[in-house]
Amino acid sequence: MSEIQRPPAEQVFAHELGALKAADQAERPEGWVLSPKAVVTYVLGGKAADGTVISPKYVGSRRLIETAVATLATDRALLLLGVPGTAKSWVSEHLAAGIAGDSTIVVQCTSGTDENQIRYGWNYAQLLAKGPSQDALVPTPLYRAMDQGKLCRLEELTRMGSDVQDTLITVLSEKMMPVPELNSAIYAKRGFNIIATANNRDKGVNELSSALKRRFNVVVLPLPTDIDEEVAIVTRRVGEMGGGLSLPVPKGTAAEVERIVTIFRELRDGKTLDGKTALKVPSGSLSTAEAIAVMVGGLSQAAWFMDGALDAEALAPTLLGAIVKDPVQDKLVLEEYLEGVLKKRRDYAAYYTALTNLL
Amino acid sequence: MAEVAYFGIRHHGPGSARRLLQGLDRLQPEQVLIEGPSDLTGLMAALVHPLARPPLALLAYAEDDPARASFWPFETYSPEYQAIRWAVSHGARLQFIDLPTTVTLAREAEADGPALRRDPIADLAQAAGHADPESWWNDLFEVSGDGTDVFAAVASAMAALREGQPVTGNDIPREAQMRLAIAEAATGEGPVAVVCGAWHVPALQARHPKAADREMLKGLPRVKARATWVPWTTRRLSRHSGYGAGVPAPGWYKHLWDQGAGQGAQVHWVTRIGVALREAGHLVSTASLIEVQRLAVSLAALRDRPAPGFEELREASVACLMGGTPELWSLIEAELLLGNDVGTIPPDLPLAPLLDDLERQQRSTRLKPEALPRELLIDLRSDAGTARSQLLHRLAALGVNWGRITDAGRSRGTFREKWVLAWEPELAVALVDNLVWGPTIEAAASALLVDVMGKAATLADLAGAVERALTADLPKAAQAGIALLDTLAARTDDAAALLAALPALVDTLRYGTARDIDRAPLAALAERVTVQSAVALPYAGRNLDAATAAGLSQAVSAAHRAVLLAEFPDPVHEAWLAALANLSAAPQTARQLAGCATRLLYEAAQISPKDVADRIGLALSLGTPVAEAAAYFEGFFAGASQRLIHDAALRAAVDGWMQGLDEEDFVAALPLFRRVFSELARTERQMLMQAALSGPRSAEVTPDEDHPEWESHLAILTRILTGGGYP
Repeated sequence: MSEIQRPPAEQVFAHELGALKAADQAERPEGWVLSPKAVVTYVLGGKAADGTVISPKYVGSRRLIETAVATLATDRALLLLGVPGTAKSWVSEHLAAGIAGDSTIVVQCTSGTDENQIRYGWNYAQLLAKGPSQDALVPTPLYRAMDQGKLCRLEELTRMGSDVQDTLITVLSEKMMPVPELNSAIYAKRGFNIIATANNRDKGVNELSSALKRRFNVVVLPLPTDIDEEVAIVTRRVGEMGGGLSLPVPKGTAAEVERIVTIFRELRDGKTLDGKTALKVPSGSLSTAEAIAVMVGGLSQAAWFMDGALDAEALAPTLLGAIVKDPVQDKLVLEEYLEGVLKKRRDYAAYYTALTNLL
Repeated sequence: MAEVAYFGIRHHGPGSARRLLQGLDRLQPEQVLIEGPSDLTGLMAALVHPLARPPLALLAYAEDDPARASFWPFETYSPEYQAIRWAVSHGARLQFIDLPTTVTLAREAEADGPALRRDPIADLAQAAGHADPESWWNDLFEVSGDGTDVFAAVASAMAALREGQPVTGNDIPREAQMRLAIAEAATGEGPVAVVCGAWHVPALQARHPKAADREMLKGLPRVKARATWVPWTTRRLSRHSGYGAGVPAPGWYKHLWDQGAGQGAQVHWVTRIGVALREAGHLVSTASLIEVQRLAVSLAALRDRPAPGFEELREASVACLMGGTPELWSLIEAELLLGNDVGTIPPDLPLAPLLDDLERQQRSTRLKPEALPRELLIDLRSDAGTARSQLLHRLAALGVNWGRITDAGRSRGTFREKWVLAWEPELAVALVDNLVWGPTIEAAASALLVDVMGKAATLADLAGAVERALTADLPKAAQAGIALLDTLAARTDDAAALLAALPALVDTLRYGTARDIDRAPLAALAERVTVQSAVALPYAGRNLDAATAAGLSQAVSAAHRAVLLAEFPDPVHEAWLAALANLSAAPQTARQLAGCATRLLYEAAQISPKDVADRIGLALSLGTPVAEAAAYFEGFFAGASQRLIHDAALRAAVDGWMQGLDEEDFVAALPLFRRVFSELARTERQMLMQAALSGPRSAEVTPDEDHPEWESHLAILTRILTGGGYP
């Protein structure tokens, strides 16, 4: 067993990639390890020609993944958008593993990321000794990806300052990066491209400039479409996280998960599950990840303060926090939902009472 | 025997139409036989009239029951339409060969919707995983060179599809009729081209004994039928409108027909998407359009398709132009895919159906069209009366104002309607204009109201339209409206808008009991709007200016009356009362509204007289600025000043407040008092005065020593005020 806590995708799934590559007869764009169709199979799962089972890495719409792969095949940059917890980074990692065979060229963008971390930096000892020279230049992941014709992943693109984001414009449109200090430029090898991820809820962070936005094709990864799927995801993750945090998971958890996911979905979609009543939508994102957080918060509350009994009482405070992000608007939305929908449902009576008391 | 060539087409398939034209050019037939009602062959000439512009539909209806109707729509890209044009311009003999309308109208409809026709090619396409059958057709038939092979390929596909399936329903006599017609045409000049839905080709080619076919057609029930052309809309060609053989996207098909299917057509379509987005206010650069085209080509390659189709272009647009959000696509989708075209029919055609229907109903309701205004009193308790009222309401919904309802109290709640009838010739024109909505007055009124509802912006407008649909007894439209109301109510934040819809809703709900519609959704909706406004009210009642507060007070009073009438289940009722209690008690509530809420609670016996006196006392007490106190006062007494006469506890509270006012404040509040008390009739005012003077005096009148005559003045004043008259 490897000592590394979490090896990169191309190592974990090396046998799948190998099987796909061995049987891949289709034409592939220059610099690609697999053909576009094989990449789609790698991400969505299926069978390689030699019978190797390819596990699905992403469960969701085939069209979206096809659009993503086709985008990268046209040498346009790809931007994966989505609310937190929709597997953006996961998809980006696997696309890079499938297309370039290397998912480790990553820049984690933060508000502290500056231009030197995107373009290139300098080794100051060398710089002082020799003046500006190729030896004194310290390449960044983006620089290396251009140099080697690989995929560069930019995580959370919009967290980076707008001025820093804009250094990407030339790279994206002209596939080159000038190095004025050396009066030279680095030209990207074929196969170079960028996959960026960003969160489309926190718009305020650093809005993409329209010049940059225009250079990306955008694929929005949605929340799970089907309640059973979402309940399964939440139940599984809550079990895993409960184990990780040494929290006991009591028996009735599955029923509570279903209720919480139902409340989340109804408010998020703006209508009840039976489709008969339309509802207002609160300002928060109410993603699957948040449903998981509510459940784990409830478990923790139950374990430490309520003798391990997981019920509406334990879940209500975190649930309220997840729904009411804007103290005026969202409160109204929730009140309406409580009075109009939950009040009539007998099996939600505990939630109605607990939430009404908290409001 | 003449040579017979079968062209199995896809109804409304532009690719199919193009291939058909090539096939006809090659074959040069002397006779063209088309799947269509054989008794309407004579109407075909109108379709190629220079002033006719598709989309048009053949309409056939039973003479004594126009509601029993069938449509055969034609667009420019319909293969049948192109076949007719080809035949007329090449001088070929043209004939419809399907069952005559006299027979089809006598048969029960096989499924919902007029003239449901299959689209087996769409089924095949779906089985192959394509959402757009036209793209599938393109991939399969268009790209593979030779034209005539297509029809052979389609025929064999259909033969495989039909294998082992028994012929059912209307197909049995229809195919028998077509076989006979083809056999007869084959004895004439050739070659003969048969243009029919691909589904039928194997059955028409198969050998059947003629005698058996004739036997099959013998003794079929018949009705008297009439037929004409009607203008059609591209929207109603779409499958969403309920037209069985409709197409998923008429706009896309029109585009394919106009532009062909090559790369030029794709670029043209991408440009149209760009234009539609720009019109919707989005920034779309030409460079982005180029990227759409590139991504679409790449997607098509990934999916093993020879060229990008509708889906690839859509997905590429979403990724390149719309920031990945499909919501933007749905914004421009309707305009792009459905289009807004309305066909025109040649001017010399009879426009009978609606006028026929009117005439028939005029006879059955015994209402004669007369030019001079005449009063008509309708008793809704009798069937005849209901029928008359329905007819007049439906005509009114169509904008044909033959009658005007005159009693101001509206008909609801009473069983009488008073109309003034006057017929003008323009009304016939106005009626005929509605042909596009449907062939009968009922169907047209229903479709028109549904359209109006779709455009209604406010809850009150929508509730009004639903009410109109109910009074005109159009349950389908009413139900559509109720569904829309539900959605709109959910989106509405504005308490005033919700409150405004409530009286109409409750009226509709109560009136609905007399009609044959499902009340449950409406009742649920009314309850929901009540609960929703109850939740919103306490917030809505704050920070208001005087005019808004007055408006909202009125709306709350009206809504309260509606809530009382509606007899909602307890939880809903309680939620409403709780909202009133909150309004009344919360110090932030606009004062006039608070006064109004207090009165409503008091009237509903939710608070005791002592309680109300306390609240009024508090609201009118010295610590409160006089303007606010006055507003509260107005809110409380507007429309309820009689209470003061009969309710001693209330009167005492008010009396105490008034006498405590200093002169300046009293004078400032005088106009307000006048407004409130002027609502009372003269005798009521006197009764109030009597009551006020007979009660305990809260302040003694001190005699003025400088003016000894004051005592006698006071006596006279008291006498006047208490109604004793001037001495």
